[in-house]
Amino acid sequence: MKISLKGFFTGTLLAAAIPNLAFAQGIVKLGQIEAQTGPNAIYGFMSSQGVPVAVDEINRGGGFKVGDTTYKLELDALDTRGDPKEATIDLKKLLEQDKVKFVFGPFLSNVFVTIYPYAKQFNGKFLMLGGGTRIHEYVGQPGNEFLIRTWNWDAGPKGFGERMVDYLVKTAHPKKVAMLFQNDSAGKILGDTYEPMFKSRGIETMTEYFEPGTKDFSPVLAKISEFQPDYLFPGYSDAALYDIVRQSIEGNYSKKFFLVRGSTGPGLKNKDGLEDYIVYVPKDFEEAEKNDPKVKHFIEAYKAFYKRDFPYDQAPLCSSSCYDHVYMLVAAMQKAGTVDDVEKIRTTLLGMTYQGIWKISFDDHNEQVFDFDIVHLKKGGAKEVIHVEQ
Amino acid sequence: MKTLLLLIPFYVLPLLVQSDVVLTVLIFTFVLSILAIGFNIVFGGAGQLTMFHAAAFGIGGYVTFLSMLRFGISFWLGFGVAVLVVVVTSIVIGWICFKFRLKEFYFAVVTLAFAELCRLVALNWNSVTNGTLGMLVLEKPTVWLPGTGIVKIEQTVPWYFLTLVCLTGILIFSALLMRSWIGRNFSAIRLNEDLAQTLGIDTFRYKLLAFTISNVVAAFAGALFGFYTGYIDPAYLSVTQSLDAIAMVLLGGVSTILGPVVGALVLTSLPHLIELPAELRVAVYGTILILVILLMPRGIVGLVSGLLRGRFNAA
Amino acid sequence: MQVVIGQILNGIILGSLYGIIALGVTMTFGITGIVNFALGEFMMIGAYATWYFSDQAMLPFPVAVMLGVVLAAVAGLVADQVLFRFTRNNLVNGLLVSIGLISVMESGALLLFTTTPKSMDAVVAGSLSLGAITLPRMKVVVFLLLVAVIGLTWLGLSRAWLGRATRAYAQNPEAAMLMGVPTKLLQTGVVVYSCALAGFGGGLYASLFSLEPSLGGLFILKGVEAAILAGVGNLLGALAGGVILGVTESVGSLYLPSAFRDAYGLVFLVAILLFRPAGLFGSQR
Repeated sequence: MKISLKGFFTGTLLAAAIPNLAFAQGIVKLGQIEAQTGPNAIYGFMSSQGVPVAVDEINRGGGFKVGDTTYKLELDALDTRGDPKEATIDLKKLLEQDKVKFVFGPFLSNVFVTIYPYAKQFNGKFLMLGGGTRIHEYVGQPGNEFLIRTWNWDAGPKGFGERMVDYLVKTAHPKKVAMLFQNDSAGKILGDTYEPMFKSRGIETMTEYFEPGTKDFSPVLAKISEFQPDYLFPGYSDAALYDIVRQSIEGNYSKKFFLVRGSTGPGLKNKDGLEDYIVYVPKDFEEAEKNDPKVKHFIEAYKAFYKRDFPYDQAPLCSSSCYDHVYMLVAAMQKAGTVDDVEKIRTTLLGMTYQGIWKISFDDHNEQVFDFDIVHLKKGGAKEVIHVEQ
Repeated sequence: MKTLLLLIPFYVLPLLVQSDVVLTVLIFTFVLSILAIGFNIVFGGAGQLTMFHAAAFGIGGYVTFLSMLRFGISFWLGFGVAVLVVVVTSIVIGWICFKFRLKEFYFAVVTLAFAELCRLVALNWNSVTNGTLGMLVLEKPTVWLPGTGIVKIEQTVPWYFLTLVCLTGILIFSALLMRSWIGRNFSAIRLNEDLAQTLGIDTFRYKLLAFTISNVVAAFAGALFGFYTGYIDPAYLSVTQSLDAIAMVLLGGVSTILGPVVGALVLTSLPHLIELPAELRVAVYGTILILVILLMPRGIVGLVSGLLRGRFNAA
Repeated sequence: MQVVIGQILNGIILGSLYGIIALGVTMTFGITGIVNFALGEFMMIGAYATWYFSDQAMLPFPVAVMLGVVLAAVAGLVADQVLFRFTRNNLVNGLLVSIGLISVMESGALLLFTTTPKSMDAVVAGSLSLGAITLPRMKVVVFLLLVAVIGLTWLGLSRAWLGRATRAYAQNPEAAMLMGVPTKLLQTGVVVYSCALAGFGGGLYASLFSLEPSLGGLFILKGVEAAILAGVGNLLGALAGGVILGVTESVGSLYLPSAFRDAYGLVFLVAILLFRPAGLFGSQR
């Protein structure tokens, strides 16, 4: 969603020409770099969908007031297509050409690692709120103050992974867990992060990696079945999960699943064949829509804005630098009393707790902490949603 | 050679344009042009369709960086090591392919297979390449300039000039190569390999030479690209990278000197000039490719020089 | 041991899917002189169409597959008349046009269906058990259907007049023309038929795996590998090539890291091309 440069200039000229408005008007520019299209679009899709809805809502409501000035938001959402080279150019555009101070994204780790050296040069001049797994390695360190990670981290004292594993141990007491991840950045990190978590609880593990794009998991599932795991812990993208879960059940390999990424979709699709399916979802939107008015509002706003159905299974991905974060940023600006002082807004933001669709706060590592749901599906589709506060 | 004069505006550009974005797009253009020129040497020159240049691109990046890391040498020496690796690899693969008389399509497939194997090695050899996590390149190339001594290339403008100078060098090299007797032997092979053989040209040796030179040039592009973006990962060696280079050469004009540069310029800047919903952009890219093949088989440069020649003749 | 047998069976079934694409590749190459890399996209059309008609429009599975095949064939006809007609026997151009076509078709699918994976409900549910080996019933059904279609194609090419005309053209274009074979029609026909085959493969694929716009890419690569392995131009060989590839991958993945799955096929392919450049079953031309 980009308001053209020409339009912006014309608008500014007009605004300057109209004499003495009762209140001063201002614009706050927001940038976004996500993969809206391309093979990894699944990770940029929802965030890039959610932010415009929030921006539109705020602007139609007359903007927001900081001090005496009313501000409107202008969003420049650039599509990186998941290509690090594109992302570098996009970020340059945002920071140098459009002088944006607040950038949402990226969710893709490989994109982030490439733009990091460049982004670092602007430390102190802007804020980057992204959800990428690898941001974890850099966030919170001196010199990286611009970086804020907008997704729970698996490990650590507030790590949702630890809670997930606790829940698994409590309900199922598994002795062996087999992990099956995609052979890429994020997959490797998941493997490295979770192995110690299981080991420290006395659970035996084995880890296998599959080539991205694999559709037939039969050989690797057969290999894993020789290990006779109690639970299968498969990778992070729905694209692979649908096939893994189905083939694992059909081939009589493993019928109990534990997931920390991905959706309830694969479980629901195979509900009659599976025995157990425990998955971390930032929020179960179908459930939440019935009980939470804010969620209901978001879903309706989405449908009205895009004139299409709400993607319930993709929506949880909106937990990273999406709808809530726009509102939270605005709230931070209002509390700090400025839209320009990046450092002040940053400290205010990091110290806040915001209740939107999620309850968001930040740990001392500048990583987001938010409440989440554990969805526990049993054979036949009986669903239990356990809400975990942080 | 006169066409090289067309590069002069690029030397002057930074004085006129303040925008860092434009310079960045051009830096990428220059580096990818080098890759495209590399491909053009073996394809537009000797007529062999190869899919290995992306692997050479990646090897250039990885080996240069790893050499700098392990041996503590400069960028250029590190690249020298990469040249050795690429030359040996090219000779081995080229020898295998050409000795067994692989034609056209099969040659393309086998080079594709080898390129994929290289990519899988880069992807899984974690102890050396860090696998899928890729490597952050924090080192920078250094250049000796008269007056200032040794300078590290870090900011946009120095990178711009470095890549532009490298591109000019490669262009001069490729022009000289194609005009020399070596280049003419390449053309003979491209036009009719069997005839060239009967004329006494050792096609095996020349094809091998073209393949090797092409990969070395591609490796150079890879080293520059890796150090500029600051990040190297196995995606450098992907099929898509090879195809992108091929598209650039075709669009610009096969067998021409400036063709690859024109093609690289158009395809690199296109996404930033056209404001389209992202899905459509890919469709536009594909459509352009199709239209070029069907309507402009000699590419942009071919079309333009045809028009110019027509004008002069008419006069 | 049981595990290995299980994987051999799995590889055979997967291989038949590679085989039908390989058949399309080999037929197109033999008659029109190009490799239609976009066959993977026609497979995608068949797959998405089948999913749509079966899952969304609630039509019976066989009807959905037929519709998928028809759509793929029509798309193939359009592609042929607009594009491939101009690249006959020009391998490089044909290759590049196919690549352009892939971009266009993939973005079309992206616009229509987004990257969210689509998954069909099981058509024939349940699994067969042979000892410790479990085979999903649908996989067996798919295998039988693919073999049937490939077999019928082969039969048609060796018995029916049109089939014999096609083979005659493949062997000697000029002579065939002199004998009154309608070459232009033949070429278009082959392109359309191979796209229909790919669409059929796609429809069956949809019953087994989840769908994304990029599904074509993997299969065309395997299809080309299988076709070359068997010897381009050899029709039944295409099925055999696919099966060999499928089995190599499945069994190989048991013992070596599955991250290298794609490598086995490649290594095998290179070896074959070097020592038997005409392919395993091909004859020197």
